[in-house]
Amino acid sequence: MQLARALSTRFLLGLLSLLFISFVTFLADEIQPGDAATVLAGEKASAETIERLRENLGLNRPWPIRYVEFVSKAVRGDFGTSYYGVKEPVGQLVGRNVTMTITIASCAILLASAIGIFLGTLAAVWQNKPPDQGILFVSTFGVTLPNFVLAPILAYFFALQWDVLPLTWSVDRVAPDYYYLILPVIVLAMRPTALLTRLTRASMVETLRQEFIRTAIAKGVPPFRMYVKHALRNAILPVITAIGTSFGFLLTGSFVVETYFLLPGLGSTTIDAIRKGDIPVVQACVMLTGAIFIVLNLFVDLILPILDPRIRESQV
Amino acid sequence: MKLKSKNPRKKRLGLIFGAAYLVLLLLFAIFGPMIRNAQLSDVAKGVDPDIRVYNAVLDPVSSSPFAPAGGAAILGTDELRRDIVARLAEGARVSLTVGLSVQLIALLVGITVGVLGVLAPKWIRNPLMRFTDGMFAFPDILLAILIVSVAGLGMGPVIFALSVTAWPSIARLVASQVATLKDREYVVAAKAAGASNFYLVTRHILPQITGILLAYSMIDLAGTILAESTLSFLGIGVQEPQPSWGGMINGARLNMNSYPVLLIWPCAMLSMTIFALNFVGDGLRALADPRDRSA
Repeated sequence: MQLARALSTRFLLGLLSLLFISFVTFLADEIQPGDAATVLAGEKASAETIERLRENLGLNRPWPIRYVEFVSKAVRGDFGTSYYGVKEPVGQLVGRNVTMTITIASCAILLASAIGIFLGTLAAVWQNKPPDQGILFVSTFGVTLPNFVLAPILAYFFALQWDVLPLTWSVDRVAPDYYYLILPVIVLAMRPTALLTRLTRASMVETLRQEFIRTAIAKGVPPFRMYVKHALRNAILPVITAIGTSFGFLLTGSFVVETYFLLPGLGSTTIDAIRKGDIPVVQACVMLTGAIFIVLNLFVDLILPILDPRIRESQV
Repeated sequence: MKLKSKNPRKKRLGLIFGAAYLVLLLLFAIFGPMIRNAQLSDVAKGVDPDIRVYNAVLDPVSSSPFAPAGGAAILGTDELRRDIVARLAEGARVSLTVGLSVQLIALLVGITVGVLGVLAPKWIRNPLMRFTDGMFAFPDILLAILIVSVAGLGMGPVIFALSVTAWPSIARLVASQVATLKDREYVVAAKAAGASNFYLVTRHILPQITGILLAYSMIDLAGTILAESTLSFLGIGVQEPQPSWGGMINGARLNMNSYPVLLIWPCAMLSMTIFALNFVGDGLRALADPRDRSA
């Protein structure tokens, strides 16, 4: 029962955060000079045309009413139309791009989990020996180097010097699509890989000190079985939480990678819209990104007690 | 972002090297842009005022805008004939200005909120700390991008956006420190002797945590500089023609193949600055916290 209460509190907090984001994004429209009417009417429109359009769009009403309308429309995925180009409905435009973000984030988290858990376990097995020190040293770089430094460096070598991978996504792709996603996924996966490696190592080191490991060794459990079945299974829990939160960060933090490799995703769409001042698109992107992050974190909170009976009992 | 080294001697070494680098960086940021002025007077006097703004160095022999390294421009010039060294120095100036302003604002807000979050009456304290917790609900960079989308582009909005994302962690740190310190005997004794809360905080509590705050702020400064560079790289931070490391990295991609120097220098400066700040922060924390020192 306590667990249900804790989870519903989280859920309410998440909802509150989303409302907060919606308010700030709504403010974006209020603060920026010009509004939908001035943009839609075009540059040559007279003051009267703009005023009439404003009247038609309901922009003359007081802001609390418009805010409520904004939220109720946003819930249904209606953010109006883009200010630029063919004035595509924003929901459609964002929906088209979100697949790319989900694809690269999913690939990156799979890659990061596989490599991170593997290297972290190796490092813990060879604690304080050269392999461990090597892995820790490299992971330090992985945590510290920003994406936008790694991306050009990898692109320079793989795309320009050795010419084995394409430099950026483009409309006329010659190779299969996944070929174009290799570099972005690697860049995106670097930071979570380093974090998961360090976390797996720390958790494994802690677990290997436990008594049941000593018992397992004393019983004569073969080393591989001892490390994987006895130690890793117990050490993996914080790593799973971290995988969940990292996935949230990847889904909502692919701005740099998408912009650099010109991928049509949620991040690059957001940045592009901010630079152009395409406010409906900015609003939709920011709200969606925030929602994804909150839902994912809720999901992690939900799945942990299922995985670990200890949390189920002691959940606050 | 923590680069931990258990060895105290290594930490001291990191602190010394990191601090030395930061001093050099500071000097470079202050005096670096003057190099450009000196060169301008020799090489590019009387040319198009636009070029002067862009710190151009003209090479009378070659028609290519990319001057080789070692000439009038020590590291060469970029695609608009702009001196790379001068731009790096301006970029350092931008990064340090943004970073230090943000940390200053974050410290002011964070300390105030942190102290109030423990010592204020309950009806102020609780909402304040809930609000602080709420600020952690989002990744910093997402929040910063959201604010920039509202506040506009340029250095001012970047400072504002990053300050908003930076203060909550400081507030939390201060609150946890104040919560433990306020029950220490000497504080209770001072209180019993009739000291006001303000006196207690400014004389007995805050001086105790300056070391930890300074160390924390150094590591956080690395994050701020990184975030500023990220925003500038994305083109929604510091705007051209004002140089910034992130903007330079972004600008370098066009001629990356033939002129990788354009990419290497800003990347190197940025990475080294972040490493140095982490080392210094870690070293300071070891000095500030004796438990850490002996460990």
